[in-house]
Amino acid sequence: MPDALNPEDLDAEQRAALEELLFRLADDEYVHGERLIEWQIFAPTLESDLALANIAQDEFGHARLWYDLLEELGHTEAELIWERPADEFRHATLVELPFAEGDWADVVLRCYLYDAAERLQLDALVETSYAPLADRVGKVLSEERYHLENAQSWLDRLAEGDSRDRVQDALDRLFPHALSLFAEPEHEAEIREHGFRTMATADLRIEWLETVIPYLESLGLDVPDPDEVERPSARGRDGTHTDHWDELAAEFRRTYEELEAPEPARIGRERV
Amino acid sequence: MSDVSADGPETADATACSYTEYADGAVPDGFPKTGAGAAGVEADIWDALYEIEDPEMPVSIVDLGLIYDVRVAEREDEDGETKTLGIVEMTLTYTGCPARDYLENDVKCAILASGVDEASVRLRFTPEWTVGMVTKAGREALRGFGLGV
Repeated sequence: MPDALNPEDLDAEQRAALEELLFRLADDEYVHGERLIEWQIFAPTLESDLALANIAQDEFGHARLWYDLLEELGHTEAELIWERPADEFRHATLVELPFAEGDWADVVLRCYLYDAAERLQLDALVETSYAPLADRVGKVLSEERYHLENAQSWLDRLAEGDSRDRVQDALDRLFPHALSLFAEPEHEAEIREHGFRTMATADLRIEWLETVIPYLESLGLDVPDPDEVERPSARGRDGTHTDHWDELAAEFRRTYEELEAPEPARIGRERV
Repeated sequence: MSDVSADGPETADATACSYTEYADGAVPDGFPKTGAGAAGVEADIWDALYEIEDPEMPVSIVDLGLIYDVRVAEREDEDGETKTLGIVEMTLTYTGCPARDYLENDVKCAILASGVDEASVRLRFTPEWTVGMVTKAGREALRGFGLGV
């Protein structure tokens, strides 16, 4: 295993590779959280309103941890979230899609596909060579465990009876976009060579497929063939996105722009 | 979150509700850090940190187990003058804590009030915080607030 690395140790090649890894992690969490909060007053029970709001809060918390690491490398929050061109975001297209209107099966299945992938991606970072990242992965993994449990407990119930058709529709629609989670990074070779991630993206993809396909099939669902299914032209990871992303980005930035890049309000004592 | 089981009493090793179970991680050696044995400016910083309460509960952030390290370093600034830097390493109970900026600012105030020239707050998430890191005094404060830990 390579020696532990800190920000001051990075050369240009390592920095580019690490940034690509961090942007994917941070943008996935941030955009997934943005979509989830759309549900928090529409979920089918008060408990699930709270569960989704809480999961979204976790995702924003995790996004903040990953964006922190980019800030340590010289970026600013304004540039990372509020002013970065939309086509420089690196999240998978799965998380930017609007929900099919009023379709609870969409959010449940999306969360399952996403959370199963995220767990594997984080597992592959537990032994990362980048010390500031290693410090944070365990905490995030602990919080993510509940997300997957929540998604699966709902999927188990939705897949019984008439609602299974809705889950199947959501699966047909979302699966091709979920595959974009595992699009290979431009700097894959360097990410592996420098020990930033301990498993290859191609192997993570295989492990994810071997996890989600048997489970979904056990619920009586037909999973599209990952090698045959028609893929969307937008891949997300390379900066190409669906039109929905431009709309979502404009929406979440509107207040920031109207207030002309505000400093956040401060409560409590004088700022130091 | 889950339905109450209709199958009768829980088995001996089951927990009543896994979703409120924070105490499953063992507390690593040396935690919680309480400042016992600190001297000089470092002791002053610990004293000031004891005065800061968690925004959600009437308990000091030290007794909650959030402080992982306090130290004072010296560095030379651009003009060649020696400056003292107070450094606090701390954690948060959960990553989505909406009071993070607020807490960090309070901690910076506590460091500067202890007479150093500059303050630095660094967040750490290893080891992961657990309820086991709450001190005895913290447990008593939480019990007074109506929380049993």
